[in-house]
Amino acid sequence: MTESLFRTSALIRYNALLRLRDPAQMVSFMVIPMILMVLFRPLYARAIGAGQVQAVTGQLVMFSIFAMAIVGYALLLEREWRTWDRLRVSRAARAELVVGKAVPVFLMLLLQQFVLIIYGILVIGLPVPRLPGLLLLAMSIWGFTLLAMGSMMATLMRSWGDMIIAADLVAITFSSIGGTLLPVSLMPGWARAIAPFSPGYWGLSIIRAGVQGHPAGVLRAAPVCLAIGIVTGAIATYRLAHGWGRGHLL
Amino acid sequence: MLQATDLTKRYDDIRALDGFSLEVADGEIVGLVGHNGAGKTTFVEVASGLVRPDGGTVLIDGLPPAEVRGQIGISPQHMALYKSLTVREHLELYGALAGLRRAALRSAVDELAQALRLTGFLNRQTGLLSGGQQRRTQAATALIHRPSLLLMDEPTAGADPETRQALLDVVKQRAAEGTAVVYTTHYLNELSDLRATIAVAAHGRVIARGSATELLNELPGEVRVTGGGEDVRVSTTNSTATLLEVLRERQQPVDLVELRDPTLDDLYRSLAASHD
Repeated sequence: MTESLFRTSALIRYNALLRLRDPAQMVSFMVIPMILMVLFRPLYARAIGAGQVQAVTGQLVMFSIFAMAIVGYALLLEREWRTWDRLRVSRAARAELVVGKAVPVFLMLLLQQFVLIIYGILVIGLPVPRLPGLLLLAMSIWGFTLLAMGSMMATLMRSWGDMIIAADLVAITFSSIGGTLLPVSLMPGWARAIAPFSPGYWGLSIIRAGVQGHPAGVLRAAPVCLAIGIVTGAIATYRLAHGWGRGHLL
Repeated sequence: MLQATDLTKRYDDIRALDGFSLEVADGEIVGLVGHNGAGKTTFVEVASGLVRPDGGTVLIDGLPPAEVRGQIGISPQHMALYKSLTVREHLELYGALAGLRRAALRSAVDELAQALRLTGFLNRQTGLLSGGQQRRTQAATALIHRPSLLLMDEPTAGADPETRQALLDVVKQRAAEGTAVVYTTHYLNELSDLRATIAVAAHGRVIARGSATELLNELPGEVRVTGGGEDVRVSTTNSTATLLEVLRERQQPVDLVELRDPTLDDLYRSLAASHD
């Protein structure tokens, strides 16, 4: 194993430990949507016929956006505990630090989606996805988008309190306008018009296409999700490198 | 080893460093002292590569800090520990980042844990440790990879005597093995214990540099004679002659005679006052 890989794997291992020892947030972001799926399913069934897909994917996307708070928490803790600067003085390169931080959080975001899909199949009656590979691709792209958006939010917020408020505001706004609570087709005209400007809309599109095994739907939403991820990820990286904390080097 | 020349660093309208120069040789311990705001911590941050100076240069073995990060060990002034990781996990993480693996890493962890008296709570999360234990853990993360330059920024602030002695012993040992050490502190007696050379910082630069003996020779000591309701104190650079003179002139009985040599505290106060 090269030196760089060895350092990166050490960072991933210890960042994963940090996340695993603080599981409350992630557990709540899995349990609450499970409850809401059960409650909302009859409503969707009456409103749009096939309620399982909307109940599962809507709650999944909504609470995956809430889970951006976990990304922010992971980053803000480094600042609160002043450990980020300590890592920067180590031999690890900036890319190694970023990858070491991002991978465990990304895997947690994937795990959340995976658990909710399995729950949807077993409890809500979601049809088993025809193309598991396509669904995994859709979940990965959406996970990357969430990771980047959460990182950007963390680097723009001054405190954990600000982060919680921003994460809740963003999650509720993006997910509701994006059609995760009320299907877009049932929204008033003005809301339907602005829905595509919400990342939640594209998250719901790509996850739903993945669940239903529609490659064209995944391909249509993927560039938008990736673009959002790249832009917000670039802002986060810039902030990390310029003025996040007292230092001016990543 | 470390050569800092004419460093400047400004935070808004505050000049944290203003022509700060300092050289540290291999195996030398430099005690960097000065008031709060004198530039000590900013210097440590610049020397570690954490903060980029506005002007001047820092070279470690002829290279900028960013190119020799593996050779630097830093123990920051503030606590920088993951509260939910154990002491052992901290040492293993920073050891791994420095390139230590398996047996070498295990051996380094055990050796340092013993030296810094951390063995009893290696598997305890640092958030559950006392302040002194956290201080030692933090110092251990700086020492685990045997750096050739050690930057310790007030490592014993608020520490108990046990913690202080354990740290001083390890720092002395590392210096004896050739490590260059910059040690900032407000506890000047620690510098005597470390047999450190002294650099006094004020207003963002070093205003005096030398061995403790060299610097103290320039300062007056004090002769004190009490008795018969009088307490006479005379500041002098020749205490024996002054004492004889005071005793000769006295008409009253003497209860107490005290000769006090200048201390590092006197030096610090004198230099800082002369630059205020």
